[in-house]
Amino acid sequence: MENFLTIAILLPLASAFLAFLLPAKKPGAIRALAIFATGVSLLLAICIFSQFDRQNAGYQFVKSVEWLPSLGVNLKFGVDGISMTLLLLVSIVSFCGALVSHEIHEREKEYYILFLALTTGISGTFCSMDMFFFYFFYELAVIPMYLLIGMYGSLPAGKHGRTKEYATMKLTLYLTAGAVLALIGLLTMYYAGGRTFDMVELKKNLALNGATQQWVFACLLFGFGFLASLFPFHTWSPLGYAAAPTAASMMHAGVLKKLGAYGIIRLALPLLPEGARHWVDLLAILCIFNVLYAGLSALTQKDWKFVIGYSSVSHMGYVMLGIATLNVVGVTGAVLLMFAHGVMAALTFSLIGFFYHQTHNRNVPDLSGLARKIPFIGVCMVMAAMASSGLPGFANFASEVMVFIGAWHEGSFVFRVATICAVWGIVVTATYLLWAVRTSFFGPFDEKWNMLHDATTLKQKFPYVFLIAVLMTVGFWPRLLTDIIKPSVEKHVVAAIDNRGRPVAAMGQTPRLASAATGETRP
Amino acid sequence: MSIYAIQLEILLVILGISTLLTDAFKPAGDKRRLGLTLGVLVGVVFCFSFLLKAQTDTAFHGLYRLDAFALYFKRLFLVATALVLVMSAEFAKRIESGVAEFYALVLFAATGMLLIASVNDFVLLFVALELVTITFYILASYLRRQVTSLEAGTKYLILGALSSGFTVYGIAYVFGTTGTTNFDSLAAALRTGGIPNGAFTFGMLLVLTGLGFKIASVPFQIWAPDVYQGAPTPVTAFLAVGSKAAGFALLLRVLLAGLLPVQGVWALLLLVLAGATLAYGNLGALPQRNLKRLLGYSSIGHAGYMLMGIAAVNALGAGAVLFYLGQYAFTNLCAFLAIVAVTNATGTEEIDGFAGLGKRAPILGLALFLAMASLAGVPPLSGFFGKFQLFAAVVEAAQTDSRYYWLAAVGAAAVVVSLYFYFNVARAIYLQEAEDNSAIPVTAPVRVALWICMAAMIGFGIFQRPLVEMAVTAASVFGLK
Repeated sequence: MENFLTIAILLPLASAFLAFLLPAKKPGAIRALAIFATGVSLLLAICIFSQFDRQNAGYQFVKSVEWLPSLGVNLKFGVDGISMTLLLLVSIVSFCGALVSHEIHEREKEYYILFLALTTGISGTFCSMDMFFFYFFYELAVIPMYLLIGMYGSLPAGKHGRTKEYATMKLTLYLTAGAVLALIGLLTMYYAGGRTFDMVELKKNLALNGATQQWVFACLLFGFGFLASLFPFHTWSPLGYAAAPTAASMMHAGVLKKLGAYGIIRLALPLLPEGARHWVDLLAILCIFNVLYAGLSALTQKDWKFVIGYSSVSHMGYVMLGIATLNVVGVTGAVLLMFAHGVMAALTFSLIGFFYHQTHNRNVPDLSGLARKIPFIGVCMVMAAMASSGLPGFANFASEVMVFIGAWHEGSFVFRVATICAVWGIVVTATYLLWAVRTSFFGPFDEKWNMLHDATTLKQKFPYVFLIAVLMTVGFWPRLLTDIIKPSVEKHVVAAIDNRGRPVAAMGQTPRLASAATGETRP
Repeated sequence: MSIYAIQLEILLVILGISTLLTDAFKPAGDKRRLGLTLGVLVGVVFCFSFLLKAQTDTAFHGLYRLDAFALYFKRLFLVATALVLVMSAEFAKRIESGVAEFYALVLFAATGMLLIASVNDFVLLFVALELVTITFYILASYLRRQVTSLEAGTKYLILGALSSGFTVYGIAYVFGTTGTTNFDSLAAALRTGGIPNGAFTFGMLLVLTGLGFKIASVPFQIWAPDVYQGAPTPVTAFLAVGSKAAGFALLLRVLLAGLLPVQGVWALLLLVLAGATLAYGNLGALPQRNLKRLLGYSSIGHAGYMLMGIAAVNALGAGAVLFYLGQYAFTNLCAFLAIVAVTNATGTEEIDGFAGLGKRAPILGLALFLAMASLAGVPPLSGFFGKFQLFAAVVEAAQTDSRYYWLAAVGAAAVVVSLYFYFNVARAIYLQEAEDNSAIPVTAPVRVALWICMAAMIGFGIFQRPLVEMAVTAASVFGLK
């Protein structure tokens, strides 16, 4: 099983090398290879998930290879509940992304190579137990993302005349700026932890005083915050998604963005608890801006992809708010929301890609009554909008509720305000999404869209149905994931913070709350 | 022992002289094949260098050392020379006359670099340095009907002569105050003699001035963009790869073998210079439209990164500089090879001239793109790991002296800035359309050389261990912690 995990992570990259050797004249074979590789990775991830020991909160399926003894680097993969959830997310989204990539008709070979490399970069980051490889895989996304957007993207000329070249360069620069900022913090932790990159060892050894913890935590929080599109570092994000080709938007909004939040949960919270205490209030305030400012920005957008782009910035606000609570319910909710939002964002972007490929227009006011020609896509879009607005029955509901409970439970004035704002954010979300769906899918039918074709065959429908099914499965049965997330959050994240002088009285109640939110009854 | 120690140099000199003789006795025929043959022969010498063993004692009465450090650099120079010769062979048709002499000069410059790797005394330092520098004066102005090339040669000559003057002057001061030119006895004298006087510090700074010129660090970097742009492309490549590595070999040797006891004097100076060099090189590269000029600025920036490693004064830093130079050679040669191949067909060195290269010549586009990405320090390419180690070294130094965090911050900012101009080249290659979409021919030797460089960039980027271990062994001769 240990090898299954390594294969699931590295298979896409290996296939990228294989695709490099295949002749560019056979795009069909390369596409089949990409679907095969991501599909097998998905099966392996499901297989690992089914074998996952739900009683064990620690890392499982650990596989370590000595890599650079002089620096103390090991290629070490392993999953706990948090990374297991996110590994599932990458596998699902990358598989669906490969499936909907049939819209690419030129330079297919390069496209699939980049897509596969990107997949490995992301899943490698989620499963690395070694900080060096965490960072290596984290940065591995830079080249594929730059080229995918630059070569295959499209950005209808906006009023500022921004091109896709501008968008992809901005995205790359922001990502790298965040990464190097985080790197300085990570290296400081490396030395303070006795020269080891191993996350488990680090947690045992790391000894940093309060002042150092504060600035190192700031490095990590804002460094990773760039990628998680934390306000005010989010401006690259809607632009980047708007310019990206469908599958790249899916991967980026769905998964890549979660790397930032994951970095904070995995490294910053457990290793720098005192730093975390210092910064959470500011983080909660920034989350308000994320939720409301980005939500209101989404209200003013006309381009479908910009609407969803701002929407995803807004949703990352909930994730970050969950993280800022530092309690089991909140952080568990944040992880579950990362999963739910990832699947939902992938679904939305793939649906936009479906009709944009035919209309070459994604301006909401220009589209009208599309549901008459493409009812299937319309229905899926309605469901995606419902999921995004946090309707019960979708995974987003369960996770957002957990975040709100966690944040309210935190008790301080800032968090109370943040919770209230965040709940109102849902209303904003519903407003722009329902407006966009109503305007473009319902209303009077415009004859110029007569040429649209709906997804009719199972092959075409599959990715959308699959994503919706995942959302609803987790929506009706959140314990499927929370049961594995919660123990890991307790053990890896919150326990570290408890031990360092956090008020115990408040924490005493958290397990009960967690049980309530997940519908679990425990004595 | 003495002959054993210098056999690589002897082999190169023999190659150089036989090149001249061949030219005298054979009609001016296929100059391209001559260059390729020489490239292969230097490659053979490179393989031969692995039979040599590192020696603990010195040769030629303490002038010369063949330790692990020297061997590392000798191998680096041999690989670089072999690839530069292949590049020169491609470039040969643009040299009007004296192609064989061009090859011979490259070989003689390489001999000087090999000597530099082994320098253990200020006297040999000066002789070896001049052998390299004077050869480069000629090489830089080799395209004698091209004004830019002449300008490059003249600039390099004037500033080079000036800096050589500084070096000798500085050596005189160091000798006058300590009574020795040998690095080992210098270190011993400094260790027992306590705090050196002002005259010694003055001499040391003058020596550093000369070396600063070689590596193009601030404030001695002004020549680099002009010379890089004007010189024939293989010479530019050799400057960027060989001459710069030679400068760093000397800097490491002088500072870490000879002047380590007085590190308090120079470490902070280097910290400031590293920051300034990083800022100058990376900001200066932003507006450039000529690719060779851009690489000139980039080479200043990279001098800054490597100075970070030396300024940190720790074992990790010294090893990181060596690793960086090793991978930097392949990366830069890859870029320059692609430039030569493209320029042969299109005649332009402007970045816009590389538009659509990904379609016109996929292999050239890929090679140039990977080289740019590696220079920018993006995984999975070797430049990423090089920078990672350098940052780690600086942060290690920052654990005892928090001022080093400022250097790390400047370096981090430089990485972001550099990404912009490197990816602008990438943008031309893959994102822009060419006006003229005709295919660019790529000859078999260039193809092979490019594959070697790309394999090295990706190989050392993912499987760093072999090169890291060589670099760490080489850096261990200084006995740093």
